[in-house]
Amino acid sequence: MTCAKYRSMVLATVALIGLPALAQETQEQSPPDPQTAALLERIEQLEAELADLRGEVLQSAETASKAEATAQDAVDRIAEVQDQTSPGPAYAVSPGMPDTKWHLAGYADVGFVGGDTSGPDSFVSGKFNPSFHFQYKDFLLFEGEFEYATTGDGETESELEYSQIDLVLNDHAVLVVGKYLSPIGQFQERLHPSWINKVQGAPAGFGHDGVQPASDTGVQLRGSIPAGVTRLTYALAVGNGPRTTSEGGVELMGMGSDDNSNKSIGGRIGFFPMPALEVGGSYLTARVDGIMNPDMPVPSGSGLPLDARFQLWGVDAAYTKGPLAARFEYLKSERGKLFTATDEEPDGVLLPDLEMEAWYGQVSYRLSGFSDSEIIHRLEPVVRYGEFSISGHPELEEENAQNRLNAGLNYWLAPTIVAKAGLEWRDYTVPGVPDETLIQFQLGYGF
Amino acid sequence: MKSCIFPAFTLATILLTGGPAAIAQSGPEETPAAESAADTDPMQDPMQIVRGAKAWNETCSRCHNLRSPSELTDEEWDVSVTHMRVRGNLPASDVRDILAFLQASNNQ
Repeated sequence: MTCAKYRSMVLATVALIGLPALAQETQEQSPPDPQTAALLERIEQLEAELADLRGEVLQSAETASKAEATAQDAVDRIAEVQDQTSPGPAYAVSPGMPDTKWHLAGYADVGFVGGDTSGPDSFVSGKFNPSFHFQYKDFLLFEGEFEYATTGDGETESELEYSQIDLVLNDHAVLVVGKYLSPIGQFQERLHPSWINKVQGAPAGFGHDGVQPASDTGVQLRGSIPAGVTRLTYALAVGNGPRTTSEGGVELMGMGSDDNSNKSIGGRIGFFPMPALEVGGSYLTARVDGIMNPDMPVPSGSGLPLDARFQLWGVDAAYTKGPLAARFEYLKSERGKLFTATDEEPDGVLLPDLEMEAWYGQVSYRLSGFSDSEIIHRLEPVVRYGEFSISGHPELEEENAQNRLNAGLNYWLAPTIVAKAGLEWRDYTVPGVPDETLIQFQLGYGF
Repeated sequence: MKSCIFPAFTLATILLTGGPAAIAQSGPEETPAAESAADTDPMQDPMQIVRGAKAWNETCSRCHNLRSPSELTDEEWDVSVTHMRVRGNLPASDVRDILAFLQASNNQ
């Protein structure tokens, strides 16, 4: 094929394909009809509006970004202020504390006793009982308390009330080792301090020469098991136990060593069916030896009881709600026949069975809701009645067996400072022993 | 009861509780009681203070008037509450709540 023919074919092809397009283009370039022109104008307007909207969106995004940054600055500032202030006292607890912490506490009282008694009216210096608590971290506590008092002849007598180490084993158990206040009943362990006790003294039978043990030396396992609003508490103790006194009675206080190898076993179980009500039961069993003087004829083989069983049991209850506190305790102890030396019988005497029984009920009511008067608010009348009986020891019975009624009025200067005024009627049950009426004043301070 | 029985009884009682073993295994830093420090952080449990106030009122007033929280410092309350835990046989959960309340309320 020649070049001329190619040129002819190309020209023909271009003409065939391109001419209609050229014709169409020629038509489009012609002025649009009015409808098309309107549409084109409308499209241009929409494009302009869209551009404006894009601008506004971009501006809004920028504003939002600035607001977010401002908010973040505020959050950072708040956190900074919290960091500076939150370690304050309200929520700063154990983590910042030293390993060893301590606390000095205790109580003291002074007073006056008069009335129709065998002794003279007298001011009494009362007691000073400082107690020391040292705690290592959160699992060990040493606590000890002294009692200082001035005797009638001016001497200062001191006594180590308790000295114990408490080891917190877990949430429900604490191991107590040393000399501790007796867990029998409620009064001795929890209620006897003068700023807690509503009356000037202990109930009949719950003090010295009574049925209530004061303390013991040994080991205790104690704690509490909560279940909803109820609580079960326990205190199980093994100690040196009681000892025979030189008067032929039973001394119930913690000795530095035991006089025999028999240990006392006892304790108390308490139950709170509701927060305001507590009921408890106590038990103690032990053996006591008779006192054998060195020059005393040895009665071995004589069949005489050189030791005797001692057991004690009791129940208690307390209802405390708001200004009302009502309490009841009962204790009874028994000791079997015992051959022992006494002050009056240094060569020994066979003592009969000894029984002691004591109980008391007490009600106090704080008049905090009775009047708008600030003075009335601080008043608290209290009544206590109790009985103490002894059989098997005439001297102890003559000296101590009685029915005792107390009526008093307390004035609370502060939650731990109380001024007490009261009357105490002692109706001795042994015929011939004159009754007594005591007027008592006491100022007690717990610190 | 023979004397040899008592040490055995005492030892058995102690061992049954498992407490010393727990302390020996975990060391003083991790005793069950030491864990209570974290449990007394009201920031983690704001209701603890409320529970503590209630337990403080119900528990302490069983025996004596309520002391003002401001009477003692945080450290002193820590020791005092442990003392009362032993004396009053208080449950540990109540003790932690009461301590949190007292330390949050003493303004010291």
